[in-house]
Amino acid sequence: MIATELAIGAGVALICGLDRTAALQVMISRPIVAAPLVAWLLGDVGVGLEIGLMVELLWLARLPVGAAIPPDDTQVAIAGTVLAVSLGGLLGQNGLEYQLLCLLIAIPLGKFGQFFDRFARQYNGRKVAQSDRHLESGRFRAMEQAHRMGLCCFGLAAVGTYLLIICGGLILIPILAPLLLPSLDATAPWLRLALPLVGIAVILGTINVNRALTLFGASFGMAFLLMWLV
Amino acid sequence: MVKIGRWKLFQVWLRLLLLQGSWNFERLQGGGWFYAMAPILRLLYGEKEMLRIAREHVGYFNTHPYLAPAVAGAVIRLELERAAGNDHGVGIAEFKEMVGTPYAAVGDALFWGGLRPLAAGVALLLAAKGLVVAPIVFLVLFNALPLWFRIAGFLSGYELGLRSVEFLQRRKLPDLAIRAKEASVVLLGGVAAFLVFQLLDGEQKPLWLGFLAVPAVLLCGYLARRGISTLLLVLISSALIMICSIFSADVVVWLP
Repeated sequence: MIATELAIGAGVALICGLDRTAALQVMISRPIVAAPLVAWLLGDVGVGLEIGLMVELLWLARLPVGAAIPPDDTQVAIAGTVLAVSLGGLLGQNGLEYQLLCLLIAIPLGKFGQFFDRFARQYNGRKVAQSDRHLESGRFRAMEQAHRMGLCCFGLAAVGTYLLIICGGLILIPILAPLLLPSLDATAPWLRLALPLVGIAVILGTINVNRALTLFGASFGMAFLLMWLV
Repeated sequence: MVKIGRWKLFQVWLRLLLLQGSWNFERLQGGGWFYAMAPILRLLYGEKEMLRIAREHVGYFNTHPYLAPAVAGAVIRLELERAAGNDHGVGIAEFKEMVGTPYAAVGDALFWGGLRPLAAGVALLLAAKGLVVAPIVFLVLFNALPLWFRIAGFLSGYELGLRSVEFLQRRKLPDLAIRAKEASVVLLGGVAAFLVFQLLDGEQKPLWLGFLAVPAVLLCGYLARRGISTLLLVLISSALIMICSIFSADVVVWLP
């Protein structure tokens, strides 16, 4: 059963991983979409919404500009959701504190996604010379085929990151869950708030907008007062 | 002049969706650019000419993926004119170089820096309320503008050629990017307020505590600006929350 669920997760990881850089870029790779999508396929869309909510803003400020490679929040969200739903089912855990534990393990492991992504780009770079040889010998179809092979590299990088996070989670969560879940029980709602707030803070710190702090402060104050008083 | 059928144009447009498929540090989108243009080049040139022309299309190329169709449409028009023997002074490689970088800069600011946080903010509000339509709303809100630019940019590029630059100039994309970013900041303020209020209300804590979130967010923003990574901020804030929870029982008795 869990193998099937992990395989479904891998399928979503592949499709969303391709959307991230190599193909389409219609943003199904964003955590707010990818996490509910995989959770819906696994039969618990609510978990995906929670995880998408917590991860979406974290690295949103890291723009995929030029040669910059942001941490792989797509695979963090997908693998975190799969661990929360599938492994949670096995361990008999399904609360917010367990979802947070999955995320707090998946987030640092998502850093490795950058290495996989960089490796895929370097591998594609090594294929440039081969593509040039195809060009000089007039084999244009082979050049097109080389481009399609690049897609496979990105796909493999995405699945590699997913599998790394899943393996890390499968090893660490059963060990850490009994130790950390009792303390997470009291702090889970606060941690659920902290993750998006850190994301918002990073966006505010890096966004290039005049008077960003004034706009943010005024908007926060107005919205909060309205909710308080109305 | 050779006539290019709609299907051929559509084929190029579809291939542009895979523009970054072989992205690499040497030529960035160069391989994807040739892949997208290949059907047109094959149609316009014989085998010998194709080799010479293809060399111009495989080199370094980088622009924003949503604005690449605008460049491609114009380049197809230029290729048609070149194949018909019309010289218009600006080389195709020069044109790609001339527009690629500015389009990349404005596209990054508008789509990644402005529109994406805006759509994410709306979707997060819905997700925080537990509405499962949040991902769909995000996809619709975000994709409407890029899809329009992908289609209209390509068609205008093909129609106008070199003058297609005016098509984007008229849209005042840098101004639009600034407005989208400002709207994002305002919306994120609302999202933060909603999440804080939701927590304090649910946990039955004094609501005035919510205003403490503003300095906390500003401090994190300052640290992020000073180069502290998001991962470190997450770990520090998580550790702080867990440590504070140990003493929370002592603090709660002092709260009104």
